[in-house]
Amino acid sequence: MDFASLDPVPEAARFRRPPSQVMRLARMGSAHPTRLSFLRVLLRRVTREGWLFDRPLWDIDANGVGRAVYRAKGPERTYSLVAFAHDLPDEMRSDRVIATSWDATFTLFDGEPGAADLDRLQRNVPLQEAGRISERELSLSRANRSVRLHAHVVERLAEGRQPDRAEVDAVGYLMRTTAVYGSGKFGAADRARIAGRPELGGPFQAEMLSVWLTRQFTVDIAEHLAQARGGASAVRLDPAIRRGLGVGNSTGLGMAPFLVRHPVLLNNWMMAREEALARVRAQRAAPPDAVAAFRKALADAQDNAEHWHSQHPIQVGKLDALRRDLAAVARWTDWPEAGQEHPWDALWRRGEAALSLEGQEALLALMLEPHGEIVDPLAACMTADEAAAFRIDGAMTVAELAAILAERYDWALGIDFARPENAARFWYVSEEKLEPRLGNRGGEDGAALELPLCTARLARELSDALAGWPGDRPLAAFLLAHPEHRFMARRAQVVARHPCAEVRDNLIAQDMLPIDLMRCKLAFFGASRFDPRSDKWVRISLFQDLPYPSDLCPGDWT
Amino acid sequence: MTGDRTPEIEPNDPTRSGAPLPAGRGARLSRNEIEALCLKAARGAGMSWGLAEEAGFAAGWLSQRGLDGPGALLAQLRTAEARPWRDICPVIEPGAFRALPEGLLCPIALGAALCDCARLPDADMRAAPIGIGPVSQPLLLVPFLAEVARLRGAALRLGWPQGAVTIGPDGGVGGDLAALAAAERLEASLAAAPDAPAAPAAPAPEAGPPFVPHAILADLDAYALRTTVPASDASRAGAGGGESD
Repeated sequence: MDFASLDPVPEAARFRRPPSQVMRLARMGSAHPTRLSFLRVLLRRVTREGWLFDRPLWDIDANGVGRAVYRAKGPERTYSLVAFAHDLPDEMRSDRVIATSWDATFTLFDGEPGAADLDRLQRNVPLQEAGRISERELSLSRANRSVRLHAHVVERLAEGRQPDRAEVDAVGYLMRTTAVYGSGKFGAADRARIAGRPELGGPFQAEMLSVWLTRQFTVDIAEHLAQARGGASAVRLDPAIRRGLGVGNSTGLGMAPFLVRHPVLLNNWMMAREEALARVRAQRAAPPDAVAAFRKALADAQDNAEHWHSQHPIQVGKLDALRRDLAAVARWTDWPEAGQEHPWDALWRRGEAALSLEGQEALLALMLEPHGEIVDPLAACMTADEAAAFRIDGAMTVAELAAILAERYDWALGIDFARPENAARFWYVSEEKLEPRLGNRGGEDGAALELPLCTARLARELSDALAGWPGDRPLAAFLLAHPEHRFMARRAQVVARHPCAEVRDNLIAQDMLPIDLMRCKLAFFGASRFDPRSDKWVRISLFQDLPYPSDLCPGDWT
Repeated sequence: MTGDRTPEIEPNDPTRSGAPLPAGRGARLSRNEIEALCLKAARGAGMSWGLAEEAGFAAGWLSQRGLDGPGALLAQLRTAEARPWRDICPVIEPGAFRALPEGLLCPIALGAALCDCARLPDADMRAAPIGIGPVSQPLLLVPFLAEVARLRGAALRLGWPQGAVTIGPDGGVGGDLAALAAAERLEASLAAAPDAPAAPAAPAPEAGPPFVPHAILADLDAYALRTTVPASDASRAGAGGGESD
């Protein structure tokens, strides 16, 4: 390998956006999925490598109860989604983490399960958090039906008719997952076990594979029930309708702290995406085929925005702005102008001047779309060795750490945390459900058990403490006297080496929106149709309008 | 699904997002679970967040090598509970990381300090050994000594009158580990070692993840539960997706 192939667009450096712009919560909360999103990375790989998909087991009765296995065979290894279908009374259906039963439960098995594996999984997977899985399993998840749409689709198909398009559009999925656990949870394989495999080394690839196979199940079970009910008169789902169905996902506050707890990972995701944008902006030409691909992506985005619904006042406003912005870009028919030195950069600058944050971040996603050749290799940079970043450099001087804080946390050091609005909230773990929650410092107990997600205040406190020490003293001595600053000192050293590792907003401010953190993470997953139901939980869709496993391997089903 | 199929479960979880542990006879835990549980237990027992992270690291490191990290940490949390920081944190003198008179060092605090000093003259053991201790649960020191060896790029030897353990820069450990695991209190010296022990062989896959007995799990859980806030009506409201469709 030569240096040129390591950095094929060296001139991109001057087009990079600064972290002070990129790492603001309002902008992160406007993030759109891109071709670097993890589900797109998965689909590109299985397509390129010619993975084989089939359904070796479908043992489900006329009431929709039983088990099924979906098999994904790659060039080196095979993975199997084991699905358990349940007959769940309506009154027991809940998306909350407190739920104890679901319409279907799943695990991604590392290999092909034997009968004994399936029996073991049958005893544990339906229990979810109350069961135990093993290092042979890579994920644990569950899904509930959209009662309305599922019933409608089954009823129509059983009658030999297709579902009503408006009903399908209004919901967008037959089932939604309410949790997808990976990385060593509940006894599952640790990430270290799979991190060295090319197909699962990237972030959340096992989880994405699990959800994609689950999407196939959501359609299969509906067609199965229609067949059981309607017999010979039943029909299968129209492929066009089927393609528009994603897997829903319902996500609460539990996801919000993830990006704060994984600073190196956040940095690598953001840096890869920002480098992608910079590479596109650095291009010296906008050839007609790239412009056509951009305009096609723009038209798709406009269509998607029309089908993207939310009742939440903030999202309603953002959607209005997005539709307006996309329409504006569509009217920029004078772009690219002849003789523009950097036509994509010109487009980007025009967008920055004219569009809302929502529109700007959508434009970013659209500009990456025609540039797979220079964008897609960056997916390899989105993983992180967090253990390697853990060790504190105690030889760093007090003055050096203070300088890091002054540079990387300049946005935090001026905040007056004595003002109630700047410390209005606190993050904690509830005893009841063991999930992260957000409390009001003024009105709720528990602030003494605050989680260290109050990064701005921790930085300020560390900075103040360092100010009382001689600058030439080593950090090791400071930390011996001040163990309470060890967490933030480690974090500041990580942030010094990773410019996009920190969200540059006060996460305990009165006006902080946790859904902004979720939106950013979910966009990296590839989620669409972001629909906040409050400022603390959201519904989204995954894989909507993308192929199914059975589209890639049409011959091997049922 | 009926309630009688749900096994009795521990009140707290080892993951950061909420997972009860099986009660009864204990469980095989992933490294992720051990690190998360031990981090929370250490925090619940009063360690700062940054040191609690070190405790999670140490317990996970030991467990990966078939050593009882969770058990040693639990014993340490009991030993150090309610003792002030000055009684358990090392005082650095020329050639020594010592406890105050009547003090007994926390191996997490001592180990973290040794790592922090790994590139400083304080921890330079090339010319003369460094005295350390007395320290409780000395097994918990080993992961940190492995970090010091890695950072210094050289093997080191932890010696005491009845034995010694050698730790290499690539994570290899050799010597009287059983004696170290059995010791509740140790005064020892740290010296440069001429030879590094062989890097550890990959653990046998059939051995599976480490088994943590119920008594240890339950008590670590009890410490971890101290980091959680009892539910209130306000906290329940809007915490997650409640409605169906």
